[in-house]
Amino acid sequence: MSGGVYGGDEVGALVFDPGQFSLRVGYAGEDSPKSEIPSTVGVSPNDAPSGSASAHAMETDSNATAGATTATSQQIGAGPQEKNFHLGVVALAAARKAKETMSYVRDGMIEDWDVFEKVLDHAYKNVIQSEAELHPVLFSEAPWNQRAKREKLTELLFEKYQVPAFFLVKNAVLAAFANGRSTGLVVDSGATYTAAVPVHEGFVLQNAIVKSPLAGDYVTHQCLNFLEQEKKIEIVPPYMIGGKEEVKMGDPPKWTRRSNLPEVTQSWHNYMKRQVVQDFQSSVLQVSDAPYDEDSLSTILHYPYEFPNGYNNEYGMERFRIPEALFDPAYNKSPNAHSMMSVSHVVTTSVGMCDIDLRPALYGSVVVTGGNTLLQGFNERLNRDLSVKTPTNMRFKLIAANGPQERRFGSWIGGSILASLGSFQQMWISKQEYEESGKSQVDRKCP
Amino acid sequence: MASSADVREIMGLGPAGGTPEGGGGSMVTKEMILAMDRPRKSGKKEVAPKRPEGMARELYNLLYNDSKDAPPIVPTDSNRGLDQGYKSVKAKLGMRKVRPWKWMPFTNPARKDSLVLYHWRRGQDEGKEYPFAKFNKRLEMPTYTDMEYMNHLESDGWTREETDHLLDLCQRFDLRFPVIHDRYDRQTHKNRSIEDLKERYYGLCEKLEILHADPSKVSKPYVYDGEHERKRKRQLEKLYNRTPEEVEEEEMLKNELRKIEAKKREREKKTQDLQKLIAQADSTSTIKTDKKTQSSPSTPSNKKKSSSSQNKNAGGSKDINSMEAAGIKFPDQKSNPGVALRSQRMKLPPSVGQKKSKAIEQLLQELKVELQPMPTEEICSEFNELRSDLVLLYELKNALATCEVELQTCKMQYESLCPGKTLEIPDKLKPNPTLALIKGEKPRSISDVIDVVGAGATPPMRKRKAALEQSNVLKKIKNKNY
Repeated sequence: MSGGVYGGDEVGALVFDPGQFSLRVGYAGEDSPKSEIPSTVGVSPNDAPSGSASAHAMETDSNATAGATTATSQQIGAGPQEKNFHLGVVALAAARKAKETMSYVRDGMIEDWDVFEKVLDHAYKNVIQSEAELHPVLFSEAPWNQRAKREKLTELLFEKYQVPAFFLVKNAVLAAFANGRSTGLVVDSGATYTAAVPVHEGFVLQNAIVKSPLAGDYVTHQCLNFLEQEKKIEIVPPYMIGGKEEVKMGDPPKWTRRSNLPEVTQSWHNYMKRQVVQDFQSSVLQVSDAPYDEDSLSTILHYPYEFPNGYNNEYGMERFRIPEALFDPAYNKSPNAHSMMSVSHVVTTSVGMCDIDLRPALYGSVVVTGGNTLLQGFNERLNRDLSVKTPTNMRFKLIAANGPQERRFGSWIGGSILASLGSFQQMWISKQEYEESGKSQVDRKCP
Repeated sequence: MASSADVREIMGLGPAGGTPEGGGGSMVTKEMILAMDRPRKSGKKEVAPKRPEGMARELYNLLYNDSKDAPPIVPTDSNRGLDQGYKSVKAKLGMRKVRPWKWMPFTNPARKDSLVLYHWRRGQDEGKEYPFAKFNKRLEMPTYTDMEYMNHLESDGWTREETDHLLDLCQRFDLRFPVIHDRYDRQTHKNRSIEDLKERYYGLCEKLEILHADPSKVSKPYVYDGEHERKRKRQLEKLYNRTPEEVEEEEMLKNELRKIEAKKREREKKTQDLQKLIAQADSTSTIKTDKKTQSSPSTPSNKKKSSSSQNKNAGGSKDINSMEAAGIKFPDQKSNPGVALRSQRMKLPPSVGQKKSKAIEQLLQELKVELQPMPTEEICSEFNELRSDLVLLYELKNALATCEVELQTCKMQYESLCPGKTLEIPDKLKPNPTLALIKGEKPRSISDVIDVVGAGATPPMRKRKAALEQSNVLKKIKNKNY
């Protein structure tokens, strides 16, 4: 029994938390993941001469340092029809000819298993830097993950990586654990969806999960629309910029294009553009405390922002108007807006689908997690909206970790806690059990 | 123990042993002073605390040298354990051998397989059982054979397969019924509510308990009232589904109810006060009559008689006390030991408010009675009695006034509610104090007015008596006037 954590017993387990935006990897028992690998990967056809390909491999190997910037390019096989994968932040951001971007995750679930394998290889090789056979592995999954996918993941880890033990937990449960709750309603607002997931004593009530596509990517999209179509701003990702000059606010930018730029693909260019917008989103946008009201917000201070190409301007009411769509669908300009629910509506609907006896407990601990909740004022607004909607005979409490790391990596941290608990060690599916009963037991053992 | 010695020291007396000689004679001799000094010195020596073994002298001086006080009662840890209290000057850090930690394999007895994992553990704990295995608690699920199921456990709407499925889920989720309900296989089985599942499970348990009854164990019967639970849930559901308007309306109605209740309570309190007044008037009048019968044959100058009458009066006042009377409660001077001025008896007790004392003053002036008469025994008691009666009168008048106002408001309310009609107040109810003043034998009006406020329980005799008393008081005032 190791010291430190009460009831803790570390067995050198690894925790993987695959999400729509990124895969979080690290050792159980630590307070934050070792690395965050983007779920978006770069793929380029391997038609480059072998000399340059090996040069790539050389270059990326030296990059293999621990931390968030780990990156590698992998050359798979030797044939010309095989593909090059560019994994990790640095490799992905490097401008390369004919590099397309793609994501192996869809709807929160792993979709492209070949690519996912590459990512796992990369994680083991460059982040963990240890043998897979030595470490039990705890994986998180979306609460609506399908049985076939769970079994496939189990198979992959036991067969290919030869892990000694494996376990699969729903990420909402882990997020609740990270916030010290075993019962509660987890509001997970990530990249592609905002979901309300009721958790009862460590089990997800699957029939009462409510999802809405109003989340981080939606806000990014709205920002992009706003900047390009309303403000007619050309968004230039940093990779294109060779040099720039300081300009006055609102003046057209003066920047020079970088020379020797390779022919990049549209998908990769868009990915880089989105990154610029995401920075704009995280630094400028704010959710207003009360329902959006032009009159009361017109007096609010404007916020300056400078784009990578030197263009800078101030943003006032737009800062509030864009994220308002998360809370008030009336501001939602999407064509199918009527089918999207606001965040508070997602919560109340989900609670309303649970047994009446559970509702007070769920309202009593609404756990907020996910990267999108880092929008300034998100929690305050959600707190306000839900306080109004909570029935008078129930207590309402919003639980959110304070630090941005804790909020972004909520489910990873929960997994880190869970996998390093002494009383958890009996839960693993061991290699022996897998060999005896096969992959189908994952459904029984990991509820 | 220290306090008495301190007092002695302050007073300049010797310790307890030396005083008897000093107290016996007033002469102070040299020997006595010497004798006083000697034991004190020796006493001090005994009191001086011993320096704990091992304590540094400087530290000890800080503790005890300034004031020669007794040592603190806080327990010290000197002479305890192996470290010898203050003797261990330095903490022994790094003196012991390091207990090594080892990265070692372990198997978990809570597991059914022999998974070998590795963890850090103290070298000395190697080979011991996994410490967290003891937390592995499993629920005991009821089991049954095919025969038992066929004979006893058949139930309407439940097949064997579904029952097995339910029990399997119960085992997997440790009877967390919301989760069982969530994961229930709805493709092959019917959609069932949590109550259905609970009913089936507990029903099963109950039957099996009876079948497998173990006489040595006292078993708790399973009782699950599904119907009641369903009703309760429906009720809760209704409560949950209220619209904000309904909640608001309910809140409003609750507030109204509270207001009505408050009004009712106020009215009850008023009637109680009135009843008290009446009761008090009753008792004083009886005392009066008693006193009259007693004192009439004898001369008032008879000391014995007067004292006895005073006793009676005291007894009467006690009665009043027990009834929380409205008159003045003069404190019983006899129970107060010590010397006091007799005029003190005439002092109004502090319980009499400023309003009342003003009223008394005014009335006394009207009656042309001295505010501070010569406090002879007789005058004292008479004066007190007079003032007590005055207060009673004052209060009765007040009550009458409120009743009148209330009557008027009732009339107004009635007229505003039924416009066009006027409420005729019967003459009987119309208060006419002048009438009562003149005709002592027909004071019904006042008592009836009092009755209006709700003293329904008072017997008519009492009312009449109260009224009689009222008239008595008034008469008395009149008599005094002339």
